[in-house]
Amino acid sequence: MPIHEKSLIRPESLLRQEKLVLDGVDVSGDWSTFIESRVVTDYNEQMEEEIAALPGGEFIHRCWQCGSCTNSCTVNAINPEFNPRYWIYLIRLGMEQELLRDKDIIWQCVSCNKCTYACPRDVMPEGVMKATAHWLELKGHTTPSPAMVFDEVFSGQVFATGKIEEGRLMRGFFARTGQKLTEDWFVRLIRGLVMRLPLGLLARLGWAAVRHPRTRGWRRRRQAMAEYVAEQQVVHRAALRLPPATEQRR
Amino acid sequence: MSEKSGISSKYRKVAYYPGCALEGTGHAYNRSTKAVGKALGLDLVELKNWNCCGAMEVKNIDPKLQTFLSARNLEIAEEMGFATVMAPCNGCYHNLKKAEYDLAHDPATRETVEMLSAKAGDVAYQPGHVSTIHALDWIREAIGEEGLRARVRNSLKGLKIANYYGCMYTRPRHIFPEKDQGPGSESTNAPHFMDDLLAAAGAENVEYPLKTACCGGAHTLSDSDTSTRLVLNLLTTAEACGADVIATECPTCHSGLELHQARAAKVFGTVTHVKILYFTQLLGMALGLSARRVGVHENLSDARDLLRARGLG
Repeated sequence: MPIHEKSLIRPESLLRQEKLVLDGVDVSGDWSTFIESRVVTDYNEQMEEEIAALPGGEFIHRCWQCGSCTNSCTVNAINPEFNPRYWIYLIRLGMEQELLRDKDIIWQCVSCNKCTYACPRDVMPEGVMKATAHWLELKGHTTPSPAMVFDEVFSGQVFATGKIEEGRLMRGFFARTGQKLTEDWFVRLIRGLVMRLPLGLLARLGWAAVRHPRTRGWRRRRQAMAEYVAEQQVVHRAALRLPPATEQRR
Repeated sequence: MSEKSGISSKYRKVAYYPGCALEGTGHAYNRSTKAVGKALGLDLVELKNWNCCGAMEVKNIDPKLQTFLSARNLEIAEEMGFATVMAPCNGCYHNLKKAEYDLAHDPATRETVEMLSAKAGDVAYQPGHVSTIHALDWIREAIGEEGLRARVRNSLKGLKIANYYGCMYTRPRHIFPEKDQGPGSESTNAPHFMDDLLAAAGAENVEYPLKTACCGGAHTLSDSDTSTRLVLNLLTTAEACGADVIATECPTCHSGLELHQARAAKVFGTVTHVKILYFTQLLGMALGLSARRVGVHENLSDARDLLRARGLG
């Protein structure tokens, strides 16, 4: 059975009438069970090309469906619905609606690179997962995932100062995702650490948080990277046949 | 091993790229790496005015920008006259290696990095000029197992250790051309450099099947439940293997293990007792340094009682 046909026997495709008489024959219950026929009319023939146009998706065409990626996948081991091989299959066929059923978990790839290590065709499935998550977001199928927000806050800080200061990174991330930093187990953990730390180190850490470590003379690099990001955004939107962005996200 | 001291002249003095995490949550790793270097008579010269390697996050925005950021650090090493840069953080190490590989093999990446460097007023790094090594390679190549064994003053005898290498040190294979080259080289499938060093320091390494499993560090804040489950897997397996300590070599893995050990106890009700220490902290104590000198008190996972009971620190 081709892998995408597994959808045909999903519970919602099974029809069963509790009370049904046909031509005088009682076919209530199990006797009336049948699988709803289904015609796929929504192929998106550009989907593979579009995902290949985003960073990480370049080598999706090499896939020959051996399944090494899913077999080695860290996230698949804790959630069997997370199936890189299946998604690559759907993308190459253009089965957009089927892919969208899993749109809210694709971003959960933890980039452990086990798939990329195992892949005999150098598809770089880890990159394909990132490209697919980007594609879903650019097309408006999903809102920015927490991981994407984290990437943006993190990269924003690197672009601005050249370095990461973790305290500020966490505050920035929690502020944008509306989470609190004060879960009691976390507070207890930090309090336990602070009790052990010598005053000198605490003062140094506090000073780093105020001073913000930064790379000197970063301004020209910041400008160069900002221009590049803006150019790439235009290129990506054009590849996905999207109108130019009206406003930049934060 | 040309000199009388038994120190390889190639690695006696190398450029040091600590990276952002080692100035924050990974401070104990920074401190213990420098202390071990000093105790072994090795010189680390920090890169001048370095920047973030780009980490996983900038790569997710655009891989070529991450290459640009990492390449700038390699260029600084070259300008300072070094042929080798040592990065103890798995993420930094991975990214410098990846930048080297991509610049050597992908013309489009090289073109973008040259364009960005020109705009930024930097000299674009040319691949092949600086080689990147991990803290594990550094100690192993500079001193060797025998050299280390001869310098041990306080053996780790009786300490059962699960060696945890994480993802970025071995995957993907193609960016580490020196690995998997037969006897004496590191294995990407079953890495052993940390095992070798800690065994030379007297420790008893347990058979740990999850050496290169993932801690979920990429989503430690954005998908905490997944990370906690992955970390819990690492912790409970280490305990089942009989380990007292998990030795780490990456600040992200290390703080992930510590944070999610506490979170797992609270959220999933699974309490684990295995302690988490940087391998440099363990080596430092074996070389006779105090627990305080290698920053054991800076770890979230408080291992002081265990170490005192074993006559360490």
